[in-house]
Amino acid sequence: MSRDHILANLRTSLASNRPWLEEVSRAAPHAPPPFVHPPAADLVAQFCEELAKLEGRAYPVADAEEALEVIGRLLDERNARHVLAWDLAQIDLPGLAALLAGRGVSLLDAAVQGPGRKERLQTLEPVPVCLSGVDCAIAESGSLVLRHGPGRPRLASLLAPTHIAVVRRSQLVRGLGEALALLRERHGAALFDATSHLTLITGPSRTADIEMTLSLGIHGPPEVHVVLI
Amino acid sequence: MSTHTLHFFDRVDTALHDATLRTALDRATTRFVGNRAGAIGALSDADGLRDQARALRAQALSRLDELLERLAARVEARGGHVCWASDGEEAKRYIADLARSRGVRSIVKSKSMASEEIHLNEALERAGVEVVETDLGEYIIQIAGETPSHIIAPAIHKTREQVGALFEKHLGMPPTTEVPPMIRAARQALRQRFLRADMGISGVNFGVADEGAVVIVENEGNARLTTSVPRIHVAIMGIERIVERLEDLAVMLQVLARSATGQKLSVYTSIISGPARPGEADGPEEFHLVLLDNGRSQILGGQYAEALMCIRCGACLNACPVYQSIGGHAYGGVYSGPIGAVLTPLLQPDLPDHHLLPHASSLCGACQEVCPVRIAIPDLLLRLRADAVKAGKFHPIEKTAIQGYATMMNNPAIYRAGGTFARLGARLLRRKGRIRRLPPPLHLWTRGRDFPALPAQTFSEWWEARERQRQSG
Repeated sequence: MSRDHILANLRTSLASNRPWLEEVSRAAPHAPPPFVHPPAADLVAQFCEELAKLEGRAYPVADAEEALEVIGRLLDERNARHVLAWDLAQIDLPGLAALLAGRGVSLLDAAVQGPGRKERLQTLEPVPVCLSGVDCAIAESGSLVLRHGPGRPRLASLLAPTHIAVVRRSQLVRGLGEALALLRERHGAALFDATSHLTLITGPSRTADIEMTLSLGIHGPPEVHVVLI
Repeated sequence: MSTHTLHFFDRVDTALHDATLRTALDRATTRFVGNRAGAIGALSDADGLRDQARALRAQALSRLDELLERLAARVEARGGHVCWASDGEEAKRYIADLARSRGVRSIVKSKSMASEEIHLNEALERAGVEVVETDLGEYIIQIAGETPSHIIAPAIHKTREQVGALFEKHLGMPPTTEVPPMIRAARQALRQRFLRADMGISGVNFGVADEGAVVIVENEGNARLTTSVPRIHVAIMGIERIVERLEDLAVMLQVLARSATGQKLSVYTSIISGPARPGEADGPEEFHLVLLDNGRSQILGGQYAEALMCIRCGACLNACPVYQSIGGHAYGGVYSGPIGAVLTPLLQPDLPDHHLLPHASSLCGACQEVCPVRIAIPDLLLRLRADAVKAGKFHPIEKTAIQGYATMMNNPAIYRAGGTFARLGARLLRRKGRIRRLPPPLHLWTRGRDFPALPAQTFSEWWEARERQRQSG
C-alpha cells in the first residue's frame, strides 16, 4: 500500500521535474573513469606506497615460496595457533596448507549459521590472525577487493587483530573503475549470485572520533599485511 | 544536556560561548577542509569527476520510481525483504514488529542518518529492545545522552577528558586522558555487543538498482560487523540514495570519500546483496531493506528537488563559516550545516523554529564551491527564506525595518539623515573600534558577535571630497 503511494507520489513529482533532471543528467558523461589519478609507471610500487600511507604493510615477493616465508614469519611473530581463513583452495597459494600444518596452526571452522550461532562466534573471537585471498587490488588507493560468499567467510578478513591477504601481481589494477569493470567482465550479470558481500578494504580499521586523533583497530584489524607475489 | 528545547537563537548563543566546542570545531573543520582540498587537488580531473557525479545523481533521480522498483524486485529475488515506509512511523513499526516477532533482545547499529531522522532508537527502546550505537563517535554521544553534531564526526564536540570520564563511568575503565587505552576499551566492550546481538541495523550510502544491493562506507569496521555478525540485518535507506549500476560507484565513492575526509576511498566499502547465500559460513540469515520516503517523494517535485542529490559527505559543513562557529547542535535538527539548513525544514518540519535555519548563512557560497555534486545551496536557502516570509514567519520588527530601509533607500535626504544619526549613535557605543552591544532591537545582532564601528566619513562624503579634489587638482 505504501509502496503504491510512494511510487504514485514519485510519478507526480517527476511529471514536473523530470525534464530539468534529465537536462542535468545529460550535462556530463556517465561512463566512469577507469582510474582518477595521473597513471603511475609501476603499479606494484604505487600499491605499496599507498598502503604504507594508510599504515598497512605490503611485502612484494618474487614467488610462492617467498610468500610462504613471509606468512610463516607473521604467524610466528603473533604466536598464532589458529587462523580464520578462506577455504585454502580459494586463496590459491601452493604450499599454504603444508605451511600451516608444519607449524601446528589449525584452521578454525568458520561456520556460524544456525542454532548456537552466538556460541560459535565466541569461539572464533580470540583468533589472532585472519587469512584471505582477494579478487583484485587497486594500486592508486591501496585497496583490496574481496568477494565474500561460500568458501570465503566475511569474518576471515575482519575478526582478528591481524589480516594477511595474498595478492598476485596479475590481480593489480589501476583504479576503482577498472576493478569494477574487471569483476563485471569475469562474472557478468551473475556477479552477486554467489557473492552476498563485495568488500573493499583500504588499509587498517581507523577512527578519529576522539579529538581527531587517528587510532587504528577500533573494530576491524589494526594490522593489514599484503603479501604481493 | 539537551539543547533542543531551547530556541534557535539561544542554541546559537550557547554554542558561541562554549570555548571547548569552539576549539574542537576549529581543529576538526580545519583538518577536514585541508584534507579535502588535498585529495580533490590530487585528482587528474576533479571538476570532470564532480560533473559526472552530479549528472549521475540527476539521472538516478529522474528515474527514481523505476530504479526503486528494480532495486526492491532484485532484493526480493535474492531472498531479502523490502519495506516501503511512507514516514518514520511506518519504518519504526516495521522494525519494532520484526524485532518482536524474531525474539530480538539486543541490537547493534552502525551509522545511519535516516534512523536519526526518524528517532528509531527511542522507538526500539520503548519496545523493550536494547540498542547500541557502534560507530565510536555515535557510541560516545549515545552514552553521553546527546545527538550527533557532525554528519561524519558525530562527537567532535567532545574532549578526550570528557570521553575518558564517560568510559570510566560506562565501561568501568580506569581514569585516563590517553586515547589508545580508550580505543582498546571500546573495541573490547563493543565486540561483545556484536557477538551477542540478534539484529544489526545499518544505514545505506547508495542502493544499486541493477544488483539489488546496498552500499555502506565506513572507516571503523563496525558496519561490517553489524551487517555480518548478527542473524538479521536491517538496512535503512532514504529513497533518493540510489544509483542504477554498480559501475556508477566508481564515480560516487571517489567523490564521497575525498569530500568527506580526504581519503581516496573509505577504509571499508561493503556492497551487500541480500542475506547470506546457501553454504556461506557467516553473514545474516535474514536481510530487510527499509525504503524511507518521509517527504522525499514530494520534495522531488518542488523547487528543492536538488537537495535530494546530497550524498551526505559533510564537506559543506566544514567549509561553512557559520557551522565553524556554532557547530551542529545549534541547528537543532539531525542534519546540520548548510545542507542541514535546507534539509531540516524539508524533512523535519515539526521542529518549531526550522524556518530560522536558512538565515544561518552569509550566502558566501563556500558550500556550493565544495559540494561534490554542486548543489546550489545558497539559492535553495534564499528560496526557503522567501517561503518563510510568504508564510508569515518573520519578526514584525524585521518587516518594519525592511520597509524603513526601502523608504530610506528611495529618499536621499532621509538616507543622509539616517547615516548621520547612526554614526552619532555608533560613536557613543564604540569601544576600541568595535561595538560590543547594540540597543534593542539590534541587540540580537551583537549577541554573539561584535559590530564594526562606523567610519567618521560616509561613502558619499568621501566621494564628494574626492571629486572636489580632482576638480581643483
